[in-house]
Amino acid sequence: MILAAVGEVGEGFFKERTSETLPCQAKSTHLFCFDWAKENIDSFATPAQQHVEIVAISVVAGFAIAFALALVAHRRRWLQPPLLAATGVIYTVPSLALFFILLPVTGLGRDTVIVALSAYTLQVIYRNVTTGLANVPSAAKEAARGMGMSERQILWRVELPLAVPEIVAGLRIATVSTVALATFAVFINAGGLGTKIYGSGNLTFPTSIVIAGGLAMAIAFAFDLILLAVQRRVTPWRRAAQA
Amino acid sequence: MPSAVRYENATKRYGDSTTAAVDRLNLEVAAGEICVLVGPSGCGKTTAMRLVNRTVELSEGDVLIGGESVRERDPARLRRETGYVIQQIGLFPHRTIAENVGTVPQLLGWKKDRIAARTTELLELVGLDPELGERYPAQLSGGQQQRVGVARALAADPLVMLMDEPFGAIDPINRERLQNEFLRLQAEIGKTVLFVTHDIDEAIKMGDRIAVMREGGRVAQYATPAELLMAPANEFVEDFVGADRALKRLALMRVSDISLWEAPLAHVGQATAEVREKLRGAEVPYPLLVDAERRPLGWLSERDLALETVPARPGSPLGPLLDLDDVMRDALADLLQGEAQYAAVADRGGRIAGVLSVEIISEFLASPAAKTEEHGAVERPK
Repeated sequence: MILAAVGEVGEGFFKERTSETLPCQAKSTHLFCFDWAKENIDSFATPAQQHVEIVAISVVAGFAIAFALALVAHRRRWLQPPLLAATGVIYTVPSLALFFILLPVTGLGRDTVIVALSAYTLQVIYRNVTTGLANVPSAAKEAARGMGMSERQILWRVELPLAVPEIVAGLRIATVSTVALATFAVFINAGGLGTKIYGSGNLTFPTSIVIAGGLAMAIAFAFDLILLAVQRRVTPWRRAAQA
Repeated sequence: MPSAVRYENATKRYGDSTTAAVDRLNLEVAAGEICVLVGPSGCGKTTAMRLVNRTVELSEGDVLIGGESVRERDPARLRRETGYVIQQIGLFPHRTIAENVGTVPQLLGWKKDRIAARTTELLELVGLDPELGERYPAQLSGGQQQRVGVARALAADPLVMLMDEPFGAIDPINRERLQNEFLRLQAEIGKTVLFVTHDIDEAIKMGDRIAVMREGGRVAQYATPAELLMAPANEFVEDFVGADRALKRLALMRVSDISLWEAPLAHVGQATAEVREKLRGAEVPYPLLVDAERRPLGWLSERDLALETVPARPGSPLGPLLDLDDVMRDALADLLQGEAQYAAVADRGGRIAGVLSVEIISEFLASPAAKTEEHGAVERPK
């Protein structure tokens, strides 16, 4: 059915919408074709699942690395500027270019996507963890020290809990942009919703793009809501402060 | 059990700087006393205080708590046994009030129910409703937060309390209240307290002894508040204490410390002739109407005295009514505010104890005991 649609794409591409009676597969200029959607919606399940997996693994891996880097730099302040610069440089590499740079190392497939996407999350997560830690009120740290907490206890019991809002804010930005970037996974055979957007013929058939795009947005929205819920759960004191 | 604190040639140098922040400080703080370290900014008073819990490390010399050198102690353990209150309070915003108060007990590994019981006890001790324990610091006023800060410092019954300008960020009215509360609390718990302030009035009010410090962490004078006011050891202390030393002494006295005038008393229904007789030779020009319990009701006026018997409603209102326990400075303020030359003073039961007048106070200030210009020649007041 998709192939049938692709065959007729050529002529219809720039045509005006003329008739509502024709089956809409033939009319690629239709923004959305419900009949087609009804019949093909099942084919989106696997790409969507792949998409979620790519995003989840990339963000978790990126977070683990960025968080560790930020903690190291928190102890050794002189490491902060070079680390920020390094993660920033990675961030500036165009995503497709990064995929192809990684190809010889990790090959075609999901590994390459995950490595690249994790690398992109480093900058924003690292920066937010660092600022979160830097914004902890110095009086709280001084009091903690004066009451006999060790440096490690101050970090885990005072500084990190107070940095949670900034850390989660970083995670949310990183996650949403990773959902968008993960659509490029299709270019190195790693699946994901990109297959329904950039896959053969889809670019000229809006219905598939609309569904895939809508699903990507829904995934981004769902991740965002989950992270927000987690943050509210672990920072009850913030709501108390606003009340 | 509170412990004495002794500085022995305690010295702190930062980096390779030649001038010391604290230079060979020798100071003995008796167990259970409040020692105030006071001085201009940069005099090293906070540094000196922080040598005690090793949040600042000694360069030379020693500090002994209960005879034991802080150098021998593990810093974390030492700090858990030392209460610490700072100006910015430093409550943990992400922890409830109860969790904040329970910080040190938790570090010490107390059981949960013991911590909970101690937290309730402490919140009550500092005058807070234990129900506040479930709230977060941001939900409390500045004064309440400061009380929590004090409760948190007291949590594990520390040997020594360090208080670094604890009331410095509080508005004047609440500061006064917190100071009084802390003094009342201290009367109960009798901790050894090192208290840092730059405010000489606060030092005089809070201190059992005051160490006036000058740059380089040297002690210009270490004395009781009264000694400091009457006999400043040198020009530096004299300047720091200020020109109004005599007035400041009023802050150290209570109304009961001065001899009051006797009030000519009148009762309702008494013959005015009898009352007029009492006025002869009295220092107070008008008789004071009192009830059967000798509680003051008001002053009789000329018109009242012209009547046959003393009326039930006196012609002049009572005006300010002072208390024997009032601090003299506050009593003077009440007189001035009430635009009164004199005022009745009541004892604890509300019964008349005498009359305090502006004249009594000014005579006291002019007397040799209050004259502080020729220091050294002055005796300590009893």
